[in-house]
Amino acid sequence: MRLWRFLATLGLTAWFAGVATAQQWSLAEAAKPYAGTTIKAIFLDRPGYKAAAKLIPEFEKITGIKVTNEVIPYENTREKIVLDMTAQGGDYDVVLVDVVWIGEFASNGWLVPMEKFYNDPKLADPALNLKGFFPILLDSFGTWDKKIYGLPFDNYAGLLFYNKCMLEKAGFKRPPATWDELLKVYAPKLTDPKQGIYAFALQSRRGETQSADSFMRMLWPFGGSLIDPKTFEPNLLSPGSQKGLQFRQDLMKYMPPGIVDYDHNEAVNALAQGKVAMITEWSAFNGTLTDPKSSKIVNCLGVSTEPAGPAGIKGALGGFSYGVNAYSPPERQAAAWLFIQWITSEAKAKDYIRAGGVSARMSAYKDPAIQKAYPFTVPMVKAWEQGNPIFRPRFPEWPAISEIIAQIGTEMMLGKVSVKDGAAQINAKVKEILSKAGYYDGKKPKLQ
Amino acid sequence: MWSTRTRNWFLAPTVLTLLVIGIFPLLFALNISLRQYQITNPGLGFGWNNFANYVTVLSDSYFWGSLGRTFFFLALTLPVQFILGLLIALILHRQEWPFLRAVARVALVIPLATTPAVVGLIGRLMFDSDFGLANWIVTLFGAGKISFLGDPNLALFSLAVMDTWQWTPFFALVLLASLTAVPQDAVEAATLETTRRWDLFRYVEWPYLLPGLTAVLILRTADTMKLFDLIFVMTRGGPGTATELISVYTQRIGFRVFDQGVAAAMAILSLIVTIILARWYIRIFYREAE
Repeated sequence: MRLWRFLATLGLTAWFAGVATAQQWSLAEAAKPYAGTTIKAIFLDRPGYKAAAKLIPEFEKITGIKVTNEVIPYENTREKIVLDMTAQGGDYDVVLVDVVWIGEFASNGWLVPMEKFYNDPKLADPALNLKGFFPILLDSFGTWDKKIYGLPFDNYAGLLFYNKCMLEKAGFKRPPATWDELLKVYAPKLTDPKQGIYAFALQSRRGETQSADSFMRMLWPFGGSLIDPKTFEPNLLSPGSQKGLQFRQDLMKYMPPGIVDYDHNEAVNALAQGKVAMITEWSAFNGTLTDPKSSKIVNCLGVSTEPAGPAGIKGALGGFSYGVNAYSPPERQAAAWLFIQWITSEAKAKDYIRAGGVSARMSAYKDPAIQKAYPFTVPMVKAWEQGNPIFRPRFPEWPAISEIIAQIGTEMMLGKVSVKDGAAQINAKVKEILSKAGYYDGKKPKLQ
Repeated sequence: MWSTRTRNWFLAPTVLTLLVIGIFPLLFALNISLRQYQITNPGLGFGWNNFANYVTVLSDSYFWGSLGRTFFFLALTLPVQFILGLLIALILHRQEWPFLRAVARVALVIPLATTPAVVGLIGRLMFDSDFGLANWIVTLFGAGKISFLGDPNLALFSLAVMDTWQWTPFFALVLLASLTAVPQDAVEAATLETTRRWDLFRYVEWPYLLPGLTAVLILRTADTMKLFDLIFVMTRGGPGTATELISVYTQRIGFRVFDQGVAAAMAILSLIVTIILARWYIRIFYREAE
């Protein structure tokens, strides 16, 4: 009995101690040593960043830390960061990390491992709750080799946006459930080239748009992949990959001419102007499509998960985490952590969503009010729950591979090279890049 | 008047600036073109690699493809820009319509003063497949809509149109300046000899145009070898590789793949090509002027 009592007292004391520290920790208190510090964050010209900009004044008021930002076009962001990092300039304290850059940034030591902060009781908010992020987002956007380098901030899932009115007019009461259905049943009825109306638009402009949004999107649902996940051997000549790439060619009949020049904006506008019936796009474009200023189809807009292939849905996954620059001075690093922790926190998640952002916190989407106000979050959460964390390989070699795919992928769509020859060409280049990197002779662990 | 020393002091800032912004980067590029220089992969080191970068470039079919495309683009744009520029210069050189000439001279500067990236944006709008000006003109002739920037052949042509719009005035202005340098008495003497405008042009005015023309050709060739912003904004080198000129490819290797050693080797080779072309222009046109 005495032992029990002793243990109970011990437990109770520990619990009280825990509560005490929890009560003690406050953002204002934690930020005190850093008040007056100015940190710079990288922003993109996208809704999630505008949402953050709306919330930042509150953070500045509590902490006295000033958060400035630099808006960079996505296509130049990696270039800017790489140049800053190799110069060890520490220009950006809050570093934007795309899912496909995490391998490069982390393995080069450009980001501070987050454990340094979340294990520091002075800096870690007891309510941080890393388990509250969608596991796929924290793993994919923020984690490299089992260490966390960033917290997911701007999060996307590929979704099928469609024009309900056009579908109903053609006699369809629901969106296509599979790619096959989309091609064979829906597409012929929704395409009328004379009127300039097409069933589908797949953004395929050369660049990351071609490699990620067009090329990779068509591999996975058909059972294909860029490389074999175990051996890292190029896998584009496998039956699944070939089927997916051939499907893309077949579907082009029902896409607007010049689709290889379509970027995100062109595809979203085509849907918004009623020229195209369906697109598969990032969830982040929901804002553009529901805004009467930029969309004629606000009342006709439907959203669902991407169509499934023989291998399942396996839709596109993308997004950004915020990490801390390893070359920034320590006080700015701490201030940057406090900002990242705050903007991605569970407490701020709903505010962030209401301001136009997409939070990575699971709890926020369980709220029926959020589900009702933002219907696109329902299929988005579904997509994340069964998502594919290696939609694109996250290793440092991806940018070089992406360039190859961007080029040969567009040539393939244009019919300048056959699906088979093009796949063989990309395979050869991928093999070359990965062997140079040392994956095949065991010099480098096979992480992706 | 001043001692050599004083004069050297006055020259020093210029020479210094040139060293810092011209010579040093060139030597730096030459240096890294001979090294392994992948800055996103510091593990590979930055040592000398026995001209491996140059071997990579010279055996790279994409490099030759983009170089060939650059030459094709030069052959497409330079003659057109020259002929249009010459016509404009000849028209503006006439003594009539002084007001129109004054307006035209100002108007000619506008395209030149426009940032190439903005010209690219205008180009994207003009050649837009849905509401672009180019397609409106096409439909006037009863043809169906054309996707200018989505078609590999038309995309390069569209770029050439924008480049011509921007740079024809440059030809016009330089040639106009050369025309004003033709001595009036020589023209008067020639008009006594012949009444044919062509003879006057060929034997009196043309020789005066050559030095300016050579300079413009050299500048335009160098510009085209490094033409980047216009293309990047309009097509990003696509579709496929249809508009990937040498500078776009170099940027892709240097700042996407981040293999700066290979990119530097490409830049050095482009420089050599530009110098050869410049020498060639001087030999053909300048010789004739002497």
